[in-house]
Amino acid sequence: MALTATPRPPVSPWPFVKLKLRLIVGGLRGKPARIVLFVLGAVMAGFFAIGGYALFAVPGVVDDERAAGMLLQLGGAALVLGWVFFPLLFFGVDESIDPARFALLPLPRRTLIIGLFAAALAGLPALSTLAATAGMVSTAADLGGSGAAIAQLVGIVLGLLTCVAVSRAVTSAFATGLRSRRSRDLAVVLFAVVAALLGPLQLALLAGAERADWDAFAVLADVLGWTPLAAPWSVGLDVADGRLWAVPVKFLIVAGTLVGLLWWWSATLERAMLGAASTGTAGRGGDVGSPTGSLLGRRLPRTRFGALVAREIRYWWRENRRRAALITFTVAGFFLPLSISLSGGSAGPVATFIGLIAVIALANQFGYEGNAYAANMIAGVPGRVEIHSRVAAHAVFVIPLLLLIAVVAGLLGGRPENIPGDLGLMVATYGAGLGLVLPVSVRGAFALPESTSPFAMSSGGGMAKGLLTLGVMIGTLVATVPLQILAYLLGDVWLWIGLPVGAAFGCAAYLIGSGVAGDWLDRRMPELLAAVTPGR
Amino acid sequence: MTVPAPREGEQAAAMSLYGLVKRFDTKLAVSEVSLEVPAGSFYGLLGPNGAGKTTTLSMAVGLLRPDAGRAFLLGYDVWADPAAAKARLGVLPDGVRLFDRLTGPELLAYHGLLRGMDAATVDQRARELLDVLELGTANRTLVVDYSAGMRKKIGLACALLHAPRVLVLDEPFEAVDPVSAARIREILQRYVAGGGTVIFSSHVMEVVERLCSHVAIISDGVLRLHGTLASVRGERSLEDVFVQVVGGRTSTGSELAWL
Repeated sequence: MALTATPRPPVSPWPFVKLKLRLIVGGLRGKPARIVLFVLGAVMAGFFAIGGYALFAVPGVVDDERAAGMLLQLGGAALVLGWVFFPLLFFGVDESIDPARFALLPLPRRTLIIGLFAAALAGLPALSTLAATAGMVSTAADLGGSGAAIAQLVGIVLGLLTCVAVSRAVTSAFATGLRSRRSRDLAVVLFAVVAALLGPLQLALLAGAERADWDAFAVLADVLGWTPLAAPWSVGLDVADGRLWAVPVKFLIVAGTLVGLLWWWSATLERAMLGAASTGTAGRGGDVGSPTGSLLGRRLPRTRFGALVAREIRYWWRENRRRAALITFTVAGFFLPLSISLSGGSAGPVATFIGLIAVIALANQFGYEGNAYAANMIAGVPGRVEIHSRVAAHAVFVIPLLLLIAVVAGLLGGRPENIPGDLGLMVATYGAGLGLVLPVSVRGAFALPESTSPFAMSSGGGMAKGLLTLGVMIGTLVATVPLQILAYLLGDVWLWIGLPVGAAFGCAAYLIGSGVAGDWLDRRMPELLAAVTPGR
Repeated sequence: MTVPAPREGEQAAAMSLYGLVKRFDTKLAVSEVSLEVPAGSFYGLLGPNGAGKTTTLSMAVGLLRPDAGRAFLLGYDVWADPAAAKARLGVLPDGVRLFDRLTGPELLAYHGLLRGMDAATVDQRARELLDVLELGTANRTLVVDYSAGMRKKIGLACALLHAPRVLVLDEPFEAVDPVSAARIREILQRYVAGGGTVIFSSHVMEVVERLCSHVAIISDGVLRLHGTLASVRGERSLEDVFVQVVGGRTSTGSELAWL
């Protein structure tokens, strides 16, 4: 074969975009359930786009410049933050275009980054964000004419690029960081720091809201306008205000941020493409006792149930996706009620959310380990035993956390007498959430890609996960409304009976849900296995 | 490794399949496969890639619900009485993950306890298996970090742990190094000599020819040939029979001339 010098291929993102679209279409072919989910997702994205457009266009229609300043800058900043946190918390990242798969191709890194970036832009979230922020252009046009509109148009495109870039960079860095075992422990600490930083910010916001001090908000919005969070969204208003000098400065801020983010992303990608080669750190150590001893520890019973629970506990700690879910729950669990307590509110209503967030991790519990579940099928583990063991292992982590959260929130909020009642509400929500999520986890299981990233999602999977989660959350909230009302009506009496009533409510809901889930599982084991097997 | 002696009344075939059918979307993966595996036989299921070997075995052990047909293990209906059938069965599936976030010893302990064995027996057998298969009794490496060959071996150990009467192994020798393969062959031969039944799939003729008392050839989801090795092979080599039955293309010598 003759060696000819091939000309350097032009950098074109189109192959990546086409690949992404083809993957989406291929994922839908012949799978009615996926198509339904996709359509539902598209409808939701459409609602988001229309609602967002309407919201952002209102200040222009009513010709209120101050409202425009606050809404565009604060709303835009919220969008950027949403792009960072939603993938981490709920949806995961569509890694159907997994960078590791390009590792063997002779692609320059620049081509790869541009291509992956373009592919990330080709999707419903990016489209609906763009459509929603188009409302800002309308506002800018109403307030400042066509010049402002053009500036704002460039602004929202840059804003969208910022959203996507920050989202990819953060999740990629996070995933790469969690990949090596040692750094995962560091990540826990990092999370705590981030939560500690977010807390005061939240408090300031709440304090501002309580005093209804709109001036403070306007100042905050204007300050944000000079940060990458809101700079792209405010250029149209600057033109409308006649501050033309601000426009190039803000564009520079955004461009600098984009370059920085892409550089950061490409650096973490490099590490991601090297893969999990560095994870095999565990060596052959000394004998830590018998095989059963190493699985079960001292306390768990040497039975089938004990083995199932022990394996689940190991998995919550050793499997990236599960560990990420636990960490998310821990952070959100402390952060939400603490900030409310410290600002003088009652942690009660928030307490229900904590129980709720806890069960989200179980919505696709069978998907985590893929078709390894076949081992339990071959051993003939009955459905109810399977379900109970999984919940027992989850509760080992969650119940102590709920207890701790209730105590800390109560003490810091200066209302120790609320602790039992709040704990009761949390346990009730946890039980009700379990009752709903367990049947869902049997019927709505879907395959996760065999990726080492805890946020990887197959195409369409993120949508499924988001919808399942949303459904369970709404259902649980509805189910616990009676208890909330009761707690509110009873007042001081609830302080005494809250814990036993809440626990009883939670147990009852759990027993019903786990029974249904167990029976369904008995009937549908092969179907469940097929559903969680990747690549079918 | 001891195999419990056959009990009275268990004269049934180790595995009987009647008209198994499985269709994926529009593709017919397995079409009307009927097969009788005599107890105490070493049965090789041969077929090219994508022939339906794994699909057939999955339906036979209760992992994949057949669209039609029935499967019996030692006379117990796999789909009507799964508990009785599965209790006497050890399986090494192919393309199925293990619970790979456990260490080897932990995984064995898990499988043993899942089968309702007492802890002392589990520990003793697990240590023995880890030792014989050279996986290390004190190996703290997670199974996910094992090499492909080690993963096959630990999977085999899990299937053997509860001393099943029937072993169903999907591609047990794939990715296993020659030394380990010899060790596994020896274990399996001893197991069959003790009265156990092994059913395994492969596309490696030499292994099948050396080990099996019976073979079945499957291609495109259809059972083409089955019987004792001698009756299937006749006077020819198994490879010749296989290529002829499966209908592989013969080289004309002119393809890939640029190579």
